[in-house]
Amino acid sequence: MMRFLRSYALSPGWKHGPRMSLRVGTAGIGADVAPVGTVGTVGTVGTVGTVGTVGTVAPVGTVVVEAADTNDSAGHRPTVGSPRAQRDTVSASQSLAALVLLGTAAWLAAPLAAAPPERKFASADESRAEFDRSVAPLLERFCARCHGPDLSEGELNLRSLSPDMKGSTSAARWAVVLKAVSTGKMPPPDAVAPDAVAPDAVAPDAVAPDAPRPDEAAVDTISRWILAELKRAGKHVASRIEAENGNVLAHRVLFGGPSRARPDVGPRLRPLRPEIYESFAKDVGKGANVGQPFSPNPATTFKDMGAARLDEPTTSQLIDNALAMVDQLTPHKLEDGVARPERNAPQTLVRLFDERNPATDKELEAAVKQMFEHALRRAPDAAELAAFTGLLRRNIHDAGRKSGVRFALAAVLLLPESILRSERGQGPPDADGRVRLAPREIAFALAYALTDRRPDTALLAAASAGQFDTSAGVEAAARKLLDDPKLAKPRIARFFREYFGYARAVEVFKGEEATEHFPRELVADTDQLIHWILERDRDVYRELLSTNRAFVNYRWDANKRIGLRASQNAVHLAYGLPPDWKWTDKQPIELPANQRAGILTQPAWLVAFSKNDDNDAIHRGIWIRERVLGGVIPNLPITVDAQLPIAPGKTLRERMQVTHEEYCWTCHKLINHVAYPFEIYDHFGRFRVREVVHDLEATARNVDSKGKPLGTVFKPVPIDASGRFDSVEGDALSGETTDAVELVQQLARSPFAEQVFIRHVFRYWMGRNETAGDAASLQAVHHAYRDSGGSMKALLAALLASDSFLYRANEP
Amino acid sequence: MFVRRDVLKGVSLGAGAVVLSPIVERLVARAADAAPRPRRFVFVVESNGVRPEQIAPVGLKRDSRAERPGGPAELIDLSLADRELPFSLQPLRPWQDRLTIVQGLSGRVCGGGHSNNFMALGAFGAGRSNGGESLAVHSETIDGALAKALPGIFPHIGLGMSKRPENNVIYNISAWERDRPLPTMCKPDQAYATLFGSVANGAAKEEFAARNNLLDFLRGDIRKVERALAGQEREQLGVYLESLETLRNRQSRLNEIEHTLRAKGPVPHDKYTSPVETDRLDAQFDIGAAALICGLTNVLTLSSAAGIRDFDVTFKGLGINLDKHSIGHGGSYQGKKWDELYNIIRRYHIDLIAGLVRKLEAVPEGDGTMLDNTLIVYLSDGAEAHHSRCWEWPMVVLGNMGGRWKAGRYLDYPGYGQPGHRTTANMYVTLLQMAGLSRDSFGMADPQLKDLDQHGPLVEVLA
Repeated sequence: MMRFLRSYALSPGWKHGPRMSLRVGTAGIGADVAPVGTVGTVGTVGTVGTVGTVGTVAPVGTVVVEAADTNDSAGHRPTVGSPRAQRDTVSASQSLAALVLLGTAAWLAAPLAAAPPERKFASADESRAEFDRSVAPLLERFCARCHGPDLSEGELNLRSLSPDMKGSTSAARWAVVLKAVSTGKMPPPDAVAPDAVAPDAVAPDAVAPDAPRPDEAAVDTISRWILAELKRAGKHVASRIEAENGNVLAHRVLFGGPSRARPDVGPRLRPLRPEIYESFAKDVGKGANVGQPFSPNPATTFKDMGAARLDEPTTSQLIDNALAMVDQLTPHKLEDGVARPERNAPQTLVRLFDERNPATDKELEAAVKQMFEHALRRAPDAAELAAFTGLLRRNIHDAGRKSGVRFALAAVLLLPESILRSERGQGPPDADGRVRLAPREIAFALAYALTDRRPDTALLAAASAGQFDTSAGVEAAARKLLDDPKLAKPRIARFFREYFGYARAVEVFKGEEATEHFPRELVADTDQLIHWILERDRDVYRELLSTNRAFVNYRWDANKRIGLRASQNAVHLAYGLPPDWKWTDKQPIELPANQRAGILTQPAWLVAFSKNDDNDAIHRGIWIRERVLGGVIPNLPITVDAQLPIAPGKTLRERMQVTHEEYCWTCHKLINHVAYPFEIYDHFGRFRVREVVHDLEATARNVDSKGKPLGTVFKPVPIDASGRFDSVEGDALSGETTDAVELVQQLARSPFAEQVFIRHVFRYWMGRNETAGDAASLQAVHHAYRDSGGSMKALLAALLASDSFLYRANEP
Repeated sequence: MFVRRDVLKGVSLGAGAVVLSPIVERLVARAADAAPRPRRFVFVVESNGVRPEQIAPVGLKRDSRAERPGGPAELIDLSLADRELPFSLQPLRPWQDRLTIVQGLSGRVCGGGHSNNFMALGAFGAGRSNGGESLAVHSETIDGALAKALPGIFPHIGLGMSKRPENNVIYNISAWERDRPLPTMCKPDQAYATLFGSVANGAAKEEFAARNNLLDFLRGDIRKVERALAGQEREQLGVYLESLETLRNRQSRLNEIEHTLRAKGPVPHDKYTSPVETDRLDAQFDIGAAALICGLTNVLTLSSAAGIRDFDVTFKGLGINLDKHSIGHGGSYQGKKWDELYNIIRRYHIDLIAGLVRKLEAVPEGDGTMLDNTLIVYLSDGAEAHHSRCWEWPMVVLGNMGGRWKAGRYLDYPGYGQPGHRTTANMYVTLLQMAGLSRDSFGMADPQLKDLDQHGPLVEVLA
């Protein structure tokens, strides 16, 4: 019997979601099931066929064996606490998580920058000859310095790793090599001094000039051989769709130069956002009273990413909802066994409940067709028709007409197609063997890209009329939706909320002192500023990061008109406006250009990235490093106390000094210097030039004649907001900055940062991280944005018509 | 050489299989040397903080501690035998010898705020998000951990009252493991349908067949789709399949105990759909008690508007038309000051606990009653105050687990960082050990307490 394992490493209250130690292997070989390598592992080991726990995940029939754990599975496990362990944990969680070998015939091409014809080896000799001829010299040249017998980094010795994947157990390690090489992760930038830092910590372009880097052709040669040998050996590798840490794919792989890459991601079934399910239940269930089964995924970069959680409570709720929707669709009463519709219920469906004259087979079929059309907007195919009428008959026989019909109709609402976004690629394959989404799938994908509703009749009609057979047709349709002022497109605003994260301001708890703190108003102001920038639709990214315009207490006027919250006019204090500032409806207003520049200097964002009683420099730094500078920050080692010292007499910058110790600095050098500039604001987002700290000496002296303390004495300390860019891929950003305004202005001007923004747009709308196969799509999207003078609409239209959006890698 | 008995034991432990087939389970039970004592845990979580001074016995002055390291150096360990319980705890007087009031535990890793959400029953920090009010789930909570150790037909049942009557299932207090929150069912009628619905109406038998046909049908269809997928796309359908299977098996087990469910299940009531908070909470306690008595679960969490989205509920049912947020900020209502209002509301909850205790005590089990094998823990997701900082986390524990928990005591642990100081994680380790596990740590350690040994249970309560 096959066994599976999934383990979660528990990191102590730190970033990122479940860290999976995925392991690679082949079907039939019993995997070692002991949880290995991760600290605090909660491993649930189940036996396929018994009933699992609350939603333990493992594809039945898949054996998953850890990738780094093959012929030398014993003895190289990192010991927690050593610097080595820290590095191994980091690289294991970030790179190995991406690989799974499937024990089935499922095949997905691994990322390849270009796509020449696939290599095929008929025999081990043939493969070996090619290896010796073309691959081994490259490995020797680029890799062996670290992965040779003298110094086997990561316990990987490429000189001794068997190139015969069938006759040895080396396939798993080769799969890791494939991933590392094709994503630009290896060779690491610190190739000249391998022990200096963790490999993930530094952007790849910081390579020392004398460290040789493989060019695209070399990467291609290595990758193609590994793929072909894997295939010959019958070991199949699937590239996992990742939902976090998308920046691990080196920027230059995507934007390094013209690319012929084609999408390499296979069929998709994406989670339905709660909002989409809600409108589905409303539309299809005629307003049935259903409970929300889905919650947004808190672990992914964007809420739309990752897999759906179809655990048992969710499934249970989905079933209850489906029954409630069927009831709402088929209200009727039985009079002497005759079913009579109520509230305009469709006779076709109500007919099924009739006890007196049971529905004929033809009528059963008509009902199934009606249910499909209503719920899925399509007709059932012949097999589906037979299966569903069969279920109806069986159910009526086993359970009587009332229950039988109810549960059988509910089945339509519980199909994967109903509870997930189906973007499988059901269209025809192209010359490269990639499949296009079927026109109907495109209609759904477009609708869900911009709205929470299913496609309307016009969009479905355009699909049937062949409008989506060309990219131009899709782009025109997307453009039409984008330009339609009457169509609500909540998903666009949601992107900016999720990307910037400013809406979290309402969740940051401030103490009693916060009597003039109105986070909801601040968030509404930033919402409105983004809305205003999008309306103008010019230089959108630059405006977002640099405008000194702001909406101030924007909602106040609207509220005043309906007579509410007139007392909350203190909101403007957060923007540094004087207490007697007069509210105006001529908004946005201009704020001093040396104080504010764009979203990252808006109080809402600053509060969202603050703590209860102080700025949160670390998370500001992480945000900028990851979301603007496209960097990767390793996970916090489990041995580190992730807390700053409590020292009320010191400024935050002073307290942050603990992170400048060598052990911490590996990561914190990526964080601190892009965060310090934001010290020109306090934790309510107010501009300041001084920070107030406790004067410990004066406080100690502040006692009455009996020595009883009279309270804390405070003192102002000048702000040091200097910062600098370090380790940014590309050369656009380097050097010092004096404060946050200067920092964000530099970011706003940077084409590199703009591309990182495009990458995030891509992740949100595609619901996945980009792979090397998306390079051409991303570049096309970026061109569309630039050519249009920085139009978000142009960017989106290009994205929704891109190959990455429309094509899926095919199954063999 | 395999011994069948060991193999079966191995299945029951190693598989982590929450729902074993009834036959296997019976075999496992038979294989055991002696029938193990049942062990049950109930958590009652009320929002808005439990202030330390409000649960100290009468005559014992106990102020809230200063929000900083230090404080009392001594452990206070008193018998409750000759003490008078404070106003809000008085409903528990008949069981004073089974009562333990625990003060002085800290939970600083959680961060604090109006609610600590999952962190109240867990021991972890918010990490990336901000403060204690984060809804991040970084680890298992104690009820999730116990549910894994004591699997029932339903491994864990979460019943709650949300301030929003429209809330059905919410996730904010219990978690199975990292990023896997457990649901809190907030609508009594839906909770009833989930737990007792299989016998709710005459159509139960028919629905059973129809439901099973549906589940089987879906499984076939999903497998077809699954074959064309890989990676996470495939995994999520694998989970869906597994869920369907769990539901199907559970349905069988519910059918097996149909008679019990009919005889001992709750009787649906108007309160199930009442707009009044207290009505719904009453109903949930009823349903929860019945779920324990019918053997549906061993771990029950009852949430009274716990969680950051709900904590400011208004107890109109108690005649207090002032929300808990305002009360927390010192608001008075009809001449009653904030602390009186706190006490009135708490006493109502303690009354509900007393009702539950009474029901458990009425059911014989072994040579005693169900109460002998049940531990009820009352605390707030808001720790020690309306604006919690988690320097201390008052708790009230009722039960003695067959004499293994030394009850009838008032325990007040030394202040934060003092020798002998203990955290909520130590309390939870104690519970894990009461459940028969040998774990000696839970969640993450408090890095600011690195000079203290944070392992092990609260030895003071171990008999």
